[in-house]
Amino acid sequence: MSNDSVNTFNVSLFFPKSSTSTVTNKTGTWSFMRPSYLEKTAPCSVHCPCGQDIPRIEMLVSRGQIAAAWNTILAENPLPGTCGRVCFHPCEKACNRGQFDEAVSINAIERYLDDAAWAASIAPAAARGSAKGRRIAIVGSGPAGLAASYFLSMLGYECEIFEAAEEPGGILRYGIPAYRLPNEVLDREIARIRALGVMIHCARAVDSAFLEGAKHTYDAVFLSCGNGASMKLGVPGEELALDGLAFLRSAKQGEGAARTISVKPHGSAIVVGGGNTAIDVARSLRRLGVSPTIVYRRRREDMPAFEHEVARALEEGVRMVELRAPLALARLDGGIELKVQKMRPAGVGADGRMRVVPDGDATELIFADALYSAVGATHAESWMVPPDDGRVVRLSHAAAFWDAPVGIPLLYGGDPVNENESVADAIASGKQAAIALDVFFQKGAGAVKAELARCAVGDGTSLSMEIYLGGPRANRSGRVVSFKDIPTDYFSPSEKKRGASLPPERAIASFEEIESSLDAAEAAMQAERCFNCGICNDCDNCRTYCPELAITALRAGRRDDWSTEAGPARAINSDYCKGCGICAAECPRCAMIIEEQQS
Amino acid sequence: MREVLEGSQAVAEAVRLARVKVISAYPITPQTHIVEELAKYCADGSLDGRFICVESEHSAMASVIGAESGGVRSFTASSSHGLALMHEMLHWAAGARLPIVMAEVNRALGPGWNLWVDQTDSLSQRDTGWLQFYCSDGQEALDTTLLAYRLAEILNLPIMVVMDAFFLSHTYEPVDVPSQADVDAFLPPYEPKFLMDTKNPYALDEVAPINVYMEMRRSIQMAMEAAPGIYQAIEDEFYTRFGRRYGLVEPYRCEDADIVFVTAGTAAATARVAVDTLRAKGERVGLLRLRMFRPFPAEAFRLGLAHAKKVIVLDRNCSFGAGGVFAQELKAALYGPEAPKLYSYVAGMGGRDVTVDTFSELFTMTRDQDEPPLGSVWYGVNEEMLRS
Repeated sequence: MSNDSVNTFNVSLFFPKSSTSTVTNKTGTWSFMRPSYLEKTAPCSVHCPCGQDIPRIEMLVSRGQIAAAWNTILAENPLPGTCGRVCFHPCEKACNRGQFDEAVSINAIERYLDDAAWAASIAPAAARGSAKGRRIAIVGSGPAGLAASYFLSMLGYECEIFEAAEEPGGILRYGIPAYRLPNEVLDREIARIRALGVMIHCARAVDSAFLEGAKHTYDAVFLSCGNGASMKLGVPGEELALDGLAFLRSAKQGEGAARTISVKPHGSAIVVGGGNTAIDVARSLRRLGVSPTIVYRRRREDMPAFEHEVARALEEGVRMVELRAPLALARLDGGIELKVQKMRPAGVGADGRMRVVPDGDATELIFADALYSAVGATHAESWMVPPDDGRVVRLSHAAAFWDAPVGIPLLYGGDPVNENESVADAIASGKQAAIALDVFFQKGAGAVKAELARCAVGDGTSLSMEIYLGGPRANRSGRVVSFKDIPTDYFSPSEKKRGASLPPERAIASFEEIESSLDAAEAAMQAERCFNCGICNDCDNCRTYCPELAITALRAGRRDDWSTEAGPARAINSDYCKGCGICAAECPRCAMIIEEQQS
Repeated sequence: MREVLEGSQAVAEAVRLARVKVISAYPITPQTHIVEELAKYCADGSLDGRFICVESEHSAMASVIGAESGGVRSFTASSSHGLALMHEMLHWAAGARLPIVMAEVNRALGPGWNLWVDQTDSLSQRDTGWLQFYCSDGQEALDTTLLAYRLAEILNLPIMVVMDAFFLSHTYEPVDVPSQADVDAFLPPYEPKFLMDTKNPYALDEVAPINVYMEMRRSIQMAMEAAPGIYQAIEDEFYTRFGRRYGLVEPYRCEDADIVFVTAGTAAATARVAVDTLRAKGERVGLLRLRMFRPFPAEAFRLGLAHAKKVIVLDRNCSFGAGGVFAQELKAALYGPEAPKLYSYVAGMGGRDVTVDTFSELFTMTRDQDEPPLGSVWYGVNEEMLRS
């Protein structure tokens, strides 16, 4: 305090003024709350079957750090080029930004990243782990088998894949039409996996005898044979139906091959089914000049096919007949006559889907030049799925038979054991099997479930390889950031964008890929929309708003190298932190917490 | 140089001549002309100052508090609701001992919405530690603004220069605008006694514990008590330079008056005409115009009313539940066996006219009444409207 009386009138001037530094005033002693940095889990990552670190990927893309972003995907998913095209992206449904304006274009950004990394010849960071001296046989080279071999290689296992077909990829190569996934993209993904040392034996179908003798060469077998056998319609005249899966396989080989089993151009076809295969068959037929009609026993909204694929099929001129169940097929004038039963909705069943029942005895006849059956698929042989044995351990995305009679552990993954038949879920099963096997070999079967729980992303079933390997992500809290945790004042509404699509009339003229990639500027702008839920991006709001200057930057400015440094580089000085909580409240990404102080 | 200026322009001229460096304000009728004029000066370079646009009067006062804390002469202007919104910051300016000068145009507070003259807005701020001067014409508004800077910077207390809505703020009159050289000689560049200075760091306006707070309040009161004497000294200097003086209170024909009017603002100019009219009829009447309200110049009133038998106070305000504020303050100042009888009238609120006839009637009512009624009498109210 001072008493300045310097003017000639000698006026009293005693007011709050002090030269004592506030450093002596340890305001931290007032505190009963304590903020701290605690990175959390984003809902998108929880809902991504591959458990990708999406908020970090988006942050890196927004800063143009393509290599780091791409490698962040590769830490959890060996097939970003594929997933960026065909994934049903449940991440976007879970995106908190969806409650603000529109979800972040996570899927399109993944696609962009893989294309950009390929164009720039960026070398993947993922490397083969130090050799563990064990060999794993993998049956089937679809997404589950490829993923298992990839993650097992990262963990130091020697992997050999046995593939019955001429080329690797399974459903990716033979089931997904080229307009959704060109073979060149798949080829480069598989080349990357091979570069890790994975040996892929093509045209090498195995049988149950292989399993019997596997123990002499391998320490475990992962079975990921897929659902290669189409299900039957189960109606009279069934033999007149063409197999949808087989059609897709030939269509992927080339237009000519597809025609050999198809109908003539300008003809008509009926496609029976409501799954992705039915949609793919109908859209492929459309590209061959055929007018397809999908006949489905339930309603359109009940279709297991991905919503956006159904919408796209309709745009392309595929017709759809709902609530019609096939009763019988007959040959008529060189074509097919399908007799259908009219159905009606009858309340929601135990599985949450709308049930349908016959609507009286109303029937109809539908005519077409050909009929394709696409009512689902199942495994081709019984040894391809886990036996009905109490010792089989069912995991979220895989099954493990540790003490299988063949003498070595058998693990099962992919569509036959997955609740949700998707590429991402297949990759998840490969990852789960790889981690489970590694735990089994190191700590025994008893440790598997606890270790898998440790690697879970948030409160879901997705697993993170980075967490398993003890990377920086392992330090994050599993608490999932919700929309209300985000102070949205820091964000302005902006438009969601995907890559440009061919107009339907051009799309159906060929099997050319429909969607193109975002460009670099668009991708950065789209990634910038991400709230980066739960992770610190060095925005420095905490430091800016701290009224006590109690936050210190451990590193000036923003991180340059995100591959080696992760987590907030800020420290809170408890000598001065009053526990006011402004830092935590103003963290735009919910990367802080404030808790009552433990005395 | 004599110019025909609006009252608002007269204040703006004074601010320009005072070489104010920072102006921050938010528009509100009837104050806006003042800051519009100043914004123009800042834009055309005739004033070398920064005009800070803000989103509220609270922020306007906060901005000038910041500027003054940095050692810079500053100015703001407001009125009515704008002044009310500044209230918290008004206390801050005084407690921080910052010599801010503001123009306050007296306007009624709503609801009901009313843009016209009323003193309730400024009188509601009487306990904030600001000095208050009430002006009655454009020349006085200009001169008082210059005097206010000189006084404020000696006292380290903020000053409000108060003027009537429209009757003064929007009325054109001849005003003698002094030269810049003369003003510079009277009002030297501001030399702050303390300022925020990164080279000599210290804390300002921090926590004042129990053992020092009361002393700080006492220091404000001591500065207030010193103000009348200091004001008179600097007004003497002003008079020698510019030939005009006003005083703390301004007497008119009071020497032998039995009854004296006390009022403020433009009503006082009307009262002067009423005094002349009544004098012509042989009445011994005078006027003692209130100019300084804070600090309240009790001594000057006692002297000025020493020979009066009755005092007529006309308040354009009311402290609800008590009465006219000027009357109460004056009653307290005159208290004692020798005090003249004080007749309190509330009139002219919300812009209602106060005419020569008003004063003549108040005079007759007071002259014919031996004892004043308890409390204030409301003059000119249409009782009909209140009956329902």
